[in-house]
Amino acid sequence: MRAALPKLASAVLVLVVAASITFFVQLLLPGDRATVILNLQNGRDQEWPAAEVAAVNTRFGFDRPLAVQYLDYLAGLFRGDLGDSYTEFRPVTEVIGAQLWPSVVLTVGALIVAWVIAVTVTVLTVRRGRFLPGLGSSFEAFTASLPHYWVGMLLLVAFAVQIPIFPVIGGDGLAGTVLPVLTLAIPLSGFLGQVLRDEFDKVLDQPFITTARTRGMGDTAVRLRHALRHAVLPGITLSGWALGALVSGSVIAENIYGRPGIGQVLVSAVNNRDVPTVAGIVLVVAAIYVIANLLVDLAYAVVDPRLRTS
Amino acid sequence: MSTIAPTSVAVRPGTVVAGAFVALVVVAAVAPQLLTSGTPTQIDLRNALATPSWSHPFGTDEAGRDLLTRVIHGTGLSLGIGLGATGVSMALAIVLGAVAALVGGVVDTVVTRILEVTFAFPSLLAALLIVAVYGPSVTTSIVAVGIGSMPGYARMVRGQVLAVKQSGYIESAHALGHSPWTVFRRHLLPNAMRPLVAVVTLGIGQSIVWASSLAFLGLGVPPPSPEWGALLDAGRNYITTSWWLAILPGLVIVAFAIAVTALGRSLQQRLEGAAR
Amino acid sequence: MTRTSPFRRAGVVGIGLALAGSVLAACAGGPAGGSGTRVEGGTITYAHVQEPPCIFGGWIQQAYISRQVLDGLVTQDTDGSIKPWLATSWTASPDGLTYTFALKDGVTFTDGTPLDAAAVAFNFDQWVTTQLNGTAKVSIDPYYRAAEAIDATHVAIHLNAPYPQFLTLVSQGYFGIQSPTALRTRTAAENCEKPIGSGAFVVDQWRKGQEVVFKKNPNYTSWPATAKHEGPAYVDELRWKFVPDALSRYASLTTGQSDVVYEIPTVNWKDAQAKFATTIRYITPGKPVSFFINTVRGVFTDKLVRQAFAHGADRRGAVEAGFHGVIPYEGNPSVSQSTPDYNSAAADAYPFDPAKANALLDQAGWTARNPDGVRTKDGQPLAVKLVYGAGSIFTSEGATVLQALQEQWKQVGFAVTLVPATRAELTSGQYSDPSTYDALPSYWTSPSPAILWIVWRPSTPEKPNGNNRSFYNNPQLSQVIQDANTSTDPERASQLYQQAQQIISDDAAGIGLYTQNTLVAASNGLKDFWLEQSQGEPVFSDAYLVK
Repeated sequence: MRAALPKLASAVLVLVVAASITFFVQLLLPGDRATVILNLQNGRDQEWPAAEVAAVNTRFGFDRPLAVQYLDYLAGLFRGDLGDSYTEFRPVTEVIGAQLWPSVVLTVGALIVAWVIAVTVTVLTVRRGRFLPGLGSSFEAFTASLPHYWVGMLLLVAFAVQIPIFPVIGGDGLAGTVLPVLTLAIPLSGFLGQVLRDEFDKVLDQPFITTARTRGMGDTAVRLRHALRHAVLPGITLSGWALGALVSGSVIAENIYGRPGIGQVLVSAVNNRDVPTVAGIVLVVAAIYVIANLLVDLAYAVVDPRLRTS
Repeated sequence: MSTIAPTSVAVRPGTVVAGAFVALVVVAAVAPQLLTSGTPTQIDLRNALATPSWSHPFGTDEAGRDLLTRVIHGTGLSLGIGLGATGVSMALAIVLGAVAALVGGVVDTVVTRILEVTFAFPSLLAALLIVAVYGPSVTTSIVAVGIGSMPGYARMVRGQVLAVKQSGYIESAHALGHSPWTVFRRHLLPNAMRPLVAVVTLGIGQSIVWASSLAFLGLGVPPPSPEWGALLDAGRNYITTSWWLAILPGLVIVAFAIAVTALGRSLQQRLEGAAR
Repeated sequence: MTRTSPFRRAGVVGIGLALAGSVLAACAGGPAGGSGTRVEGGTITYAHVQEPPCIFGGWIQQAYISRQVLDGLVTQDTDGSIKPWLATSWTASPDGLTYTFALKDGVTFTDGTPLDAAAVAFNFDQWVTTQLNGTAKVSIDPYYRAAEAIDATHVAIHLNAPYPQFLTLVSQGYFGIQSPTALRTRTAAENCEKPIGSGAFVVDQWRKGQEVVFKKNPNYTSWPATAKHEGPAYVDELRWKFVPDALSRYASLTTGQSDVVYEIPTVNWKDAQAKFATTIRYITPGKPVSFFINTVRGVFTDKLVRQAFAHGADRRGAVEAGFHGVIPYEGNPSVSQSTPDYNSAAADAYPFDPAKANALLDQAGWTARNPDGVRTKDGQPLAVKLVYGAGSIFTSEGATVLQALQEQWKQVGFAVTLVPATRAELTSGQYSDPSTYDALPSYWTSPSPAILWIVWRPSTPEKPNGNNRSFYNNPQLSQVIQDANTSTDPERASQLYQQAQQIISDDAAGIGLYTQNTLVAASNGLKDFWLEQSQGEPVFSDAYLVK
């Protein structure tokens, strides 16, 4: 418990720094915020007369000194107020909240499915004769090299257009989630599988495995009950990184399948220079990432009893 | 330093194929005119969307441009971005990771925090912001992908340097009277980096895939760039009517990523064999 | 020893059967045909592209969607004439300065507020004095003086100069009437998301990133005179989905998931025409997608160079090939072919003629060439920076057309650099200054040639005109357009509008490319879906599903 406090403090620091960086980077973006807002509201791309720009500046508080705007923003963060979106006149928390769940379903689902595929392929193909291991590792090398958007395109055309098993416009229902999850899970399973395979291979050489076998344990049982536990450790570390990569990948999946989610919100917010929304999303993603890391540490402790006592 | 001669590792046929393909890709990147006489911007609107044939092995795109020529000319761009991004990543990673591990203390804590922050930024978000500020271009793609992949490498470098530093190996090098810089250059860095060779080559493949993802989202090199991801983005709308536009460049990307990964692993095995 | 699981084989067989079954199902189905029996109620699914920030506003996308919930005073019929809607009749004063509208009796907004003259007057006031709708404002601003509620059902709009185009302009979706109670008492966010009007539908829910769900307004009494039936909408629900990916959008129609789809990719158009009974190609009136040419800085300050640019590439050929013949070429840079008072002579003014282009450039002094074949003069290359809205204004096919033209311009010695601008860059105003581009293709939608004034009004320090992206300040042109706008003689007005187009064409202040289009297809299970005339706004209040 005592170890948790400094971790928590540094987690908060990470979040604040992430949000601050986003706040300031957005000020580097070309053009003036009032102009962008006026253009967006009217579907134009021009310059606006000074009077109208000034009105927007006052309304959103852009004419205050930068330091004041920043501190105001930080203060809001600690209150749980992420500000209002420039384009939707709604609180950012609402904008993000409404689309957060589909993204969470997508990323967590993809991670789980990736693990299932990786574990299945590895357990079934490591060290089983001459042909299978090569096949298994080729499969993993192939899937790891697949670009997400390519897999997404092909799955969409194969299973929603040519053979209409799944709906083309998925929305966030269950049927519409299968293909996006597969799109993200397949390449990730290749990565996880490669790492898992290497570890698994090394573990199968360990003395305790031989002991288990001499005690009469069947091969599958040995693999599942003894070897797997040890082999998954590097994979768990990788999962922490994977969650971050999945967030990036979810932007692509949402783009291809027209699926709602924060990836999509992010892209349009960056395009619209909606500073509060972008900063809000960065914050949310960073928070998820920090939580994911804590969970990874927990998972380690669960899988590896040696770490529990430390 | 080990004085045992490196044991020769039998070269598998798969590695030979991978090596040959990578060599071909490098030739395409450096001297595309050796492989094709056409130009990637040869527009011929009457010949648009032609199916693959003897004169157009990969077919033509919506502007009548020969797809194979475009893929060959796009190699330099894709490979350049992949290598550039990996270079940027590794350079930053080595600096940050080695400094953190060697100096230790406060510097280590600060650097680890910085890495955590950058880790928390999804690489695509970093790319979006950079492209939004500086506009889409080759340089932006390199920087965006490079910075996005840096934290992972930095952590690995840091871990490796720490491991080598704590092994008795470095102490004995010091005891032999070598200067710290020599120790770093000749002993620490090579030993720390060796296990990362496979990771780096995998990283090149991944950087190319990520750069092409950026191009797919419209954030990469502007058209009519023949960069592989841009080709797939352009082909996306024709996938049901002219499949070759969306399938063939994708196969090239995947094949190259696999080949580079296979080479990397075999290289890693050789180096580890040599080190024993 | 490993034993094969007894279930493995069953699993394989099961998967095989499932796949076979789905393939068979796919083969058996096809686009559903309807014999014509009307289904009561039901849901229409419409796949649109762009999701707007608010339901109503100055963007054409907002005119499309706000039409479902807001009614207008008048509407435009297919022959261009103005027909009644909320206003059952109207009179114009002899001096053309006052339009008096008689409103339909008993119409209420869905929040209960009566739709009376005061409500209409309030809306007009809001458009001109606030940012409620920037396009409504810029359409009537210089001519509008005041709106006056004479009694409960009569409202007068007072102008400060005769403006015969007034009625045509007001028929656009930007002029939908909102409830004054809603505008006064609710927050901007609420009105943005669920505006209150008197229309055939009300906004039930807006699931951002996905769809807007409209529900039928059962008390609808104010349908336009052009409606295909009298009464409230047939269907209970309209799901207006946002599907930016062209492949998914068209596939949703062919797989039956959507009933109507917007922006059919041109490469699928022939297929759509073969499969579906209702396919509409609407050529948008207004300013076509044409090049603004920077007349104040860079190489195009010289008229000869502009004209050489117009002659130098085969714009017609590129457009027809690039869009597979689906989108028409438009040679007239200022007014598109579906707009009233279109000048077709101006459209043919600059045919593809490389010899002439070369001659003009030689005449202009660009006789030297650098090693790349680009013409030079005093050491400066003939460089053209062409900025275009990638994805927002130009689809990938449009981008291909530009690339084809780039190659052709190179042949006569222009070095054209294509700069695809993202939406972020455009909305930030990055390319609004003369130093940032030489050519900028874009469009304006408008049912009236009065668009000429909005776009080509000279920009002055007191009243800058950000829409004049050629920075072309021609006092003669300005006078001609103003005369046309205020002329009460329709013949003379038409003549003047055409003269204005001729001036712009002669000076090559703009160069034509293609018309803005709306390509829509509806499944065979949907009838009486149509696009209204002024802007191609989709109308669902008459549509019904059939079995």
